[in-house]
Amino acid sequence: MSQSVIEQSVAENIELPGYSGKPILTMTGVRGGYGDADILQGVDMQVSEQEIVVIVGPNGAGKSTAMKAIFGLLKVRGGSIVVNGTNIAGWKPNRIVQHGVCYVPQVDNIFREMTIHENLEMGAFLRKGDISDSLERVYTLFPDLKERRSTLAGNLSGGQRQMVAMGRALMLNPSLLLLDEPTAGLSPKYMEQIFEITRNLRDAGLSILLVEQHAKQALAFADKGYVLAAGSNRHEGTGQELLADREVAEMFLGG
Amino acid sequence: MPFMEFVNFYLMPGIVLGSIYALGAVGITLVFGILRFAHLAHGDLATLGAFAALGVVTIFGVSPWVALPVAMIFCAFMAIGIDKVFYDYLSERPKIIVVMSSLGIALMLRALVQVIWGVDTETYTRGIVRPENYWGIRIRDREIYTIIAMFAIVGVLWVFLQKTKWGKAMRAMSDNPDLALLSGVDNRKVTMLTWAIVGILCAASGFFLGINTELKPLMGWTMLLPMFAATILGGVGRVEGAVVGGLIVGIVEETSVLLIPGEYKAAMAFAILLLILLVRPTGLLKGKVL
Ligand SMILES: Nc1ncnc2c1ncn2[C@@H]1O[C@H](COP(=O)(O)OP(=O)(O)OP(=O)(O)O)[C@@H](O)[C@H]1O
Ligand SMILES: [Mg+2]
Repeated sequence: MSQSVIEQSVAENIELPGYSGKPILTMTGVRGGYGDADILQGVDMQVSEQEIVVIVGPNGAGKSTAMKAIFGLLKVRGGSIVVNGTNIAGWKPNRIVQHGVCYVPQVDNIFREMTIHENLEMGAFLRKGDISDSLERVYTLFPDLKERRSTLAGNLSGGQRQMVAMGRALMLNPSLLLLDEPTAGLSPKYMEQIFEITRNLRDAGLSILLVEQHAKQALAFADKGYVLAAGSNRHEGTGQELLADREVAEMFLGG
Repeated sequence: MPFMEFVNFYLMPGIVLGSIYALGAVGITLVFGILRFAHLAHGDLATLGAFAALGVVTIFGVSPWVALPVAMIFCAFMAIGIDKVFYDYLSERPKIIVVMSSLGIALMLRALVQVIWGVDTETYTRGIVRPENYWGIRIRDREIYTIIAMFAIVGVLWVFLQKTKWGKAMRAMSDNPDLALLSGVDNRKVTMLTWAIVGILCAASGFFLGINTELKPLMGWTMLLPMFAATILGGVGRVEGAVVGGLIVGIVEETSVLLIPGEYKAAMAFAILLLILLVRPTGLLKGKVL
């Protein structure tokens, strides 16, 4: 992020927490749920250019629901979801994908009966013409996948499946990537690898919104974090601030 | 019984009948896999295809083989239309309602055939065709064409599903519909494409039943159970499984008369269906669990 962007934000008097660049995603007062009841009771979040923002919180807090709300998978009854300057609340998923947002769901995030290569091709479904540049980029990020490109994704280990899922979402070169618990159930080795790749993606220019159960590890490298509980934000700050906050540590990070 | 007699009178007819079932079963498996319901109008759509070809033969006086592609295109559009008016309209409702509506469509299609063509038995061509003898195997040309056409049609479909963008989209939709939507696949387009292919397959299966036997308004309906047995035997959602399943059901039906009275031939499909559901509900090739 360049100095001038920050100066410009200050000049335009846009309120930004931390040392952020241009905002990519701004959720304001988002309410919504699956049936008639609101699961999200007014969620506010912001992800800026080239930032990793981590959402932590207890099971059932609404973390996945918040991501589904961004991606148009549930009815948003209030608030706004602005991505790259446009309010996308109420848009259909395929339009949101074209707007530069890609999403890796928490579960069922691969095509099991298709090969690794075909999974990646499906990620680029909306692109016309040659996709070899994106394929090359994903295979460079995940060399394991390149070797096994003809293997059915359903036959892979948990860590490799997660790589396929992330690779699929990267095929459209999104500007914002939503990752829902990409390290759930993975060995520490794979977890570290996924986190490493996430940081590299940020350094390469992507903005990432990451839901994590491994809260301590994720907040350690997060540019910003939110604690979500019972459908609304409880705390926010830089990763280090949240890790240092005694209340957050006691209530949400297991002491 | 001499071996050649078994081949000529039981095995070959079984393979021919099995090919006809396979064409239907592939369509059923696509609807099951991609649209996730049991399509009970499948047999009667095949009847409509068979009679549509008859219509072309009688009106234009052409060979039935020329009428087949016309019937295929007609059934493709019929299937898309039925989906637009009925199944798509009900798509947000529980699947059982869509299944029951397909039973209603089956009755409507049969009534349509009876209104236009009457209830009498018809044939594409008159006269008796004697089988040719190829190194002791006695088989009619139309039977050879039936088997070849089944493998050709399914082969083309197979390549389409494996190699083309929209074929892959159909597989993706069958595999993980939510993720397909997240990847930007338009499920309306996939649905219409599926129905077009299903219509083509139905027309082919009805046509080949008609050219090998005769045309009756109930011809497709009586194929429904064997076709479903073939689908589930092969594994729901598995195109190659539906072919294997179709051939097995056809061969078992034709050879069963060696062991049990011919009147029970039609019960064989039911027996196979029960057995596979008890022993291996995912089918031979590990399909979806229903
Ligand atoms: N498809 C659904 N239909 C109805 N209610 C749902 C659905 N998915 C989740 N919920 C409910 O919404 C609430 C929030 O769920 P959500 O999945 O967002 O939690 P989460 O914070 O992601 O939890 P976890 O850490 O377990 O993934 C829960 O009470 C859950 O029961
Ligand atoms: Mg969740």
